[in-house]
Amino acid sequence: MNTIPFGPRNPSEDPLLAKAAELPKEVEPQRDLWPGIAARLGEAPRRAEPRGSRWPMALAAGVLVASVSALLTWSLVRAPDPATQPQAVATDYQAADIVPVSYGPNSGLTAQELVARDELVVRFREKFTTLRPETRDAIVKNLAIMQAAADEIDAALAKDPASGMLKGMLVGTYKQELQLYSTVVTSSDGTTRRT
Amino acid sequence: MPLVTNLASDVESGAELVTRASRGDEGAFEALYRQHVGRVYGLCLRMTGQAESAEDLTQDTFVSAWRSLPGYEGRSSFSTWLHRIAVNAVLARRRSPQGRNEISMTDDQGGQMDFEGEPAMDEATPIDIERAIAALPPGARDVVVLHGIYGYSHEEAAGMLGVAVGTCKAQLHRARHLMRARMGTENAT
Repeated sequence: MNTIPFGPRNPSEDPLLAKAAELPKEVEPQRDLWPGIAARLGEAPRRAEPRGSRWPMALAAGVLVASVSALLTWSLVRAPDPATQPQAVATDYQAADIVPVSYGPNSGLTAQELVARDELVVRFREKFTTLRPETRDAIVKNLAIMQAAADEIDAALAKDPASGMLKGMLVGTYKQELQLYSTVVTSSDGTTRRT
Repeated sequence: MPLVTNLASDVESGAELVTRASRGDEGAFEALYRQHVGRVYGLCLRMTGQAESAEDLTQDTFVSAWRSLPGYEGRSSFSTWLHRIAVNAVLARRRSPQGRNEISMTDDQGGQMDFEGEPAMDEATPIDIERAIAALPPGARDVVVLHGIYGYSHEEAAGMLGVAVGTCKAQLHRARHLMRARMGTENAT
């Protein structure tokens, strides 16, 4: 995440913030949480490492969004035959794994736009867990690429705030994110996994 | 704090541990856990106000981090990256049916908890401040925790919470107003 401080932060100007800033940052849990975590690590498939060229992330995001839409559409028109289902193992992502794209301080997105997105995310999360694992896997990968795209564009905007092209790319990423959520929210039950 | 079984944290830098952990070294990841659990748990506890939920969310945070670590590119500090995952976990839990059923110390307007006899600001102990923060409505509390306690800028806090920067600032203003009112210092500042 790109971090650009918002002006001087001077807690001493506000006694309340000054006292809050003095609170201990670390609070130890009353029990050791590691055993519970360690037990789950083996059950948690790891995401592929995004290495190599990071050439136009925004374009890549668009391509992947299209692939997710195609996957959902395919699911709608063709009921899966268990006997012919691919055996590829997809990560069993849950709603808690969904991280909405975080747009940086140079995005120019309005509060209304972010609120609208968040409202859509709430509905999206409810639908997400009903999707097949391979669809959820594709969605999580989409969001990761969109985040990378947003980060890159934001960093570029920091150097060139007046760039219309960059602003357009960022709005495009935002729209792609909305499109992804909307595609899932409006998909029929035909996309859901069978239990 | 339990003894660190893997002493790697004592001799290796955080960056080295992150690199090893991203390659699947659970020992390195445990060392990272030992280094960061206090800050992650503290964040979860303050955002939820419930120790049991905070423990669950801390575990969820580290499991999610383990999953996502191969994609971590160091654009932010590892601590900030972990906090971002933790905040997302807290927000997701709040939206879940389970989270909605959990007892909250406040309603959305910041009412309900009554702190009669709350000490004035000058006399407030850290516990008094913690209680006043815990009594805030969730949105205002989140901002005080991230910005006030953990020192994130409004932009960083807004990014973590998925809200606009202006919303973040407004929530902080609201939080300060509510806390001052509780502590009887509304007219003192």
